[in-house]
Amino acid sequence: MFITTLKTLAARKLRLFTTSFAVLLGVAFMAGTLVLTDTIGQTFDKLFSNVNKGTDAYVRGEVAFDSEWFGDQRPRLDSTLVDAIDNVDGVAVAEGHIEAYAQLVDKAGKPIGNPNMGAPVLGASWLSNDDLNPFDLTSGRAPVADDEVVIDKGSANAGDFRVGDSTSVLTQSGAQQVHIVGIAKFGDADSPAGASYTMFTPTAAQEFLAHPGKVDAIKVVADAGVSETQLVANISKVVPAGTEVLTGTEITKQDQAAIKDDLSFFNVFLMVFAMIALFVGSFIIYNSFSILVAQRTKEMALMRAIGASRKQVTRSVLLEAGVVGLIASALGLVAGVGVAAGLKMLLSGIGIDIPAGGIVLTSKTVIISVIAGLGVSLASAVFPARRAAKVPPIAAMREVAVDQSSRSRKRAIYGSVITGLGAFAMGAGLFGGAGIAPVGLGAVLVFVGVAVLGPILARPISRVIGAPLPRLKGMSGTLARQNAMRNPKRTSATAAALMIGVALVGFITILASSTKASVAKNVEKTFNGDLVVSSNVGGVGGLSPKLADQLAALPELDAVTGFRIAPAQIDGSSNNLVAADPAAMQQISDLGIKTGSLDNLHGNEIAVFDDIAKDKGWALGQSIPIRFAETGVKNFTLAATYTEDATVGDYFVSIDAYDANVADRFDQQVLMTIADGVDADSARAAVTSVADAYPQGEVLDRAEYSEAQTKNMDMLLNLIYALLALAVFIALLGIANTLALSIFERTRELGLLRAVGMTRRQLRATVRYESVIIALLGTTLGLAIGTAFGWSIVKALGDQGLDTFNFPVSQLAVVTVIAALAGVAAAALPARRAARLDILGAITSD
Amino acid sequence: MTATLTTPFDTPPAQAPLAAARAVAATKRYGSGDATVTALDAVTVDFHANQFTAIMGPSGSGKSTLMHLVAGLDTLTSGNVYIGDTDLSGLDDRRLTTLRRDKIGFIFQAYNLVPTLTALENIVLPASLAGRKPDKEWLDQVVHTVGLTNRLKHRPSELSGGQQQRVAVARALASRPSIIFGDEPTGNLDSRTGAEILSFMRSAVRELGQTIVMVTHDPAAASYAERVIFLADGSIVDEMFAPTPDRVLDRMKHFGE
Repeated sequence: MFITTLKTLAARKLRLFTTSFAVLLGVAFMAGTLVLTDTIGQTFDKLFSNVNKGTDAYVRGEVAFDSEWFGDQRPRLDSTLVDAIDNVDGVAVAEGHIEAYAQLVDKAGKPIGNPNMGAPVLGASWLSNDDLNPFDLTSGRAPVADDEVVIDKGSANAGDFRVGDSTSVLTQSGAQQVHIVGIAKFGDADSPAGASYTMFTPTAAQEFLAHPGKVDAIKVVADAGVSETQLVANISKVVPAGTEVLTGTEITKQDQAAIKDDLSFFNVFLMVFAMIALFVGSFIIYNSFSILVAQRTKEMALMRAIGASRKQVTRSVLLEAGVVGLIASALGLVAGVGVAAGLKMLLSGIGIDIPAGGIVLTSKTVIISVIAGLGVSLASAVFPARRAAKVPPIAAMREVAVDQSSRSRKRAIYGSVITGLGAFAMGAGLFGGAGIAPVGLGAVLVFVGVAVLGPILARPISRVIGAPLPRLKGMSGTLARQNAMRNPKRTSATAAALMIGVALVGFITILASSTKASVAKNVEKTFNGDLVVSSNVGGVGGLSPKLADQLAALPELDAVTGFRIAPAQIDGSSNNLVAADPAAMQQISDLGIKTGSLDNLHGNEIAVFDDIAKDKGWALGQSIPIRFAETGVKNFTLAATYTEDATVGDYFVSIDAYDANVADRFDQQVLMTIADGVDADSARAAVTSVADAYPQGEVLDRAEYSEAQTKNMDMLLNLIYALLALAVFIALLGIANTLALSIFERTRELGLLRAVGMTRRQLRATVRYESVIIALLGTTLGLAIGTAFGWSIVKALGDQGLDTFNFPVSQLAVVTVIAALAGVAAAALPARRAARLDILGAITSD
Repeated sequence: MTATLTTPFDTPPAQAPLAAARAVAATKRYGSGDATVTALDAVTVDFHANQFTAIMGPSGSGKSTLMHLVAGLDTLTSGNVYIGDTDLSGLDDRRLTTLRRDKIGFIFQAYNLVPTLTALENIVLPASLAGRKPDKEWLDQVVHTVGLTNRLKHRPSELSGGQQQRVAVARALASRPSIIFGDEPTGNLDSRTGAEILSFMRSAVRELGQTIVMVTHDPAAASYAERVIFLADGSIVDEMFAPTPDRVLDRMKHFGE
């Protein structure tokens, strides 16, 4: 008995470690996410209070509407308002401020920074007032001439620029040749949160970055003794309608709140993965405690026999779970700080640079982490604890009962009902428009439901998966297969943890490959262009319209058009409006004109995707109100409807209409066809020689264009894989844990096998292949669920361009092989332990 | 206890059989310094081929230790043990394991069978581990002898204790080992079932030409053997041929259990 107790303790070390570790990783990830977002949040808080440090009042246009893609849309202000405000009582200084896309080009001709994934690249007006200007010159002077700029020290370092250097800056008005006359720091930092700034004179800023006679905002310093509120009240009297006047304190708060809002998406994104990790961890806690309770049946029965109440037995199990949870939370919190640093590296590895100063560990992070770790551990142990309490005292006299395999009808019913409810919730979310919350809840229910069904599925599936093993691996294979099948509950609960990770990997893989297939098909079907110049900036900035003009002049090309997207409020709801040259667009893209014609699309006419027109009940000639940030509501006339929305989306207008109503003029892309009789190579060479002056643009042929559409998706995909790897890793710990517990339980049997002639190598193989079967069981269930999820979402998003379901066989085969290898890895430690087993001790110990 | 230990108390059979296994000055000590316990003290003994030998002795006498050492389940502190001509002390774990698999059969008191395998799979386990096909004719004979022909597809949990031990006997015989070791093979059985198993073991020696060494503390069980070796305090203290339960019991009393 003494030896057994010692053995139990020895086994318990590893068990405590692996069990705690499963939760620890989830908690660490959660804590890491919170630490990272808090740290970034604090960095931005500081940033904005520095930006607005000397600003007492801030004047800007009121929000015209909020665009889902582009954020708040506000009109610019007339620059004459600057002088008007300067004359207001209590105003010491008022300066117009402009901030828009501008990207420096380094000495090798490459644009500096990657605004698509990282910090923005901006141009601004150099503020002459020290209180208003957050930058401080470290060398050189302020810009005086219109071709002079001051750049931030970060960009100077990145481009190896010194005062006196000349370079070009990519702006809305094309590539501008500039002289660097000054280099400035942002407080102590080289640049504000990694953003690049090129600062012009106010005139040049209006001219190159925005619109002559317009400013984005007006920053004001009060006279000594004038309060912010008094100043705002005074200014408010002179500004025209549609103008917003804020105190310095208010604008700081609003900026800080806005960035927190942006970050909250990021926070939620990472938190989802932390919760997945904890969810997977909960399976491992549940399984570990289930096995322990089964193994300790005799001990529990003895406790009951000598007078322990059911409650006391339950409590003893929960207490152990509590200890596991507390250890996991405490260590997880510490590890979380490391995770925060790791996440930052991971994100910067795929091109998302995050500014973050010191580590911020708030009490909120501590509380959430402890609650999560402790909560998951206790909740997962509740069922095993209740089972422990049900052990009758008489069991003390019986042989130790191994946990009975449950194939009851009740289990089949419960499992099916839970899975069905999950599928229903997902369906309601995906097809019924109930939103994302029921989809997530449904997914969790499906996982739980399949896990409940697991013990019924485990035996037949393991039998099939393990079928080749007896032939390939002899007795080791036979035993591995039998061992995987002997405790279906244990096997399935272990596999279920891996199932979750694999299901999500499978789902994402299928979604990505279906998206790619859909995009490729759409390009194939509707895109007739031969060449594209595509800007690498998404959202803010792009290519100067001058590029399209220059390309249009090339004899090698036939149809050429810039392609733009503008936010607008169409018929009352925020939408994206695509603009291009209608005649060229018809040559480049097969729009499937249904009614009307695009041939003479005037400045006040619009073409609409047929489905939308039908939904809205619009016919040709219908007047459609469109609100622009800059020009207010304009009525457009429906001139055409089309059936192919892959290129131009739901709403399409001419470049003229765009220019008349939108302030920022950037082409996202320039699309073109090659003139008859010109070979592709010389056309491409001609385009490249023009596009060289616009290094933010990339020249692509049709195939490259098709691929480039999903290039950003690949990066996101890799990020998601990296984050899901954690869930898979935790599941592997679970496999190792189960194997270790099983081996401990099978000591006598293993001793017998060794005695009658099983070599250590054979025993290791037996453990290894049992692990592989469990891993493949999890993978099979996971891929089945992942495929179902993938298929559902493709069906649900069919009308949004995702119309091709693609099952990426080779990629999923790779997933399966990796899972099998992971099973081998998970078995390494338990197999070694099993092989080291003392034969005599195993067969003689009682 | 001070009697001359090397002299047999009974007359050996006329022709001395070959040794299937041998221990020479086999010594096993546990612990070190003052805490040293000598479990087996320089025991030298031959286990003859085609003979059923029983090892008896009070608990702590070293009878199990002797069997474990000769069977290659435990390692010696000093001395040598041989299976046939092979000196076990020179073998690493892999060779020792292969030797147990190919040359030695085991019948334990309990936990004899792998619960996930059928009776037949358990019987041919050593051959399967070696990756060999069992000798069909011999296997049929063994299975027939122990009367398991109708139970081969059953798993251990579907067999009675006696049936389980018969499977164990069949397994020990199936690979036609040089020697079979039994560790209280009937200890967990009622006397009638136990007698049945012991009869099988005896007929395995007499009719199938096998060699069996069995550790037991039951005089009735020992009486099935042709030779009984008595151990006390780690040394062989007596030997008896053609035992009967009464004679064995008598000797046991004599050694003061």
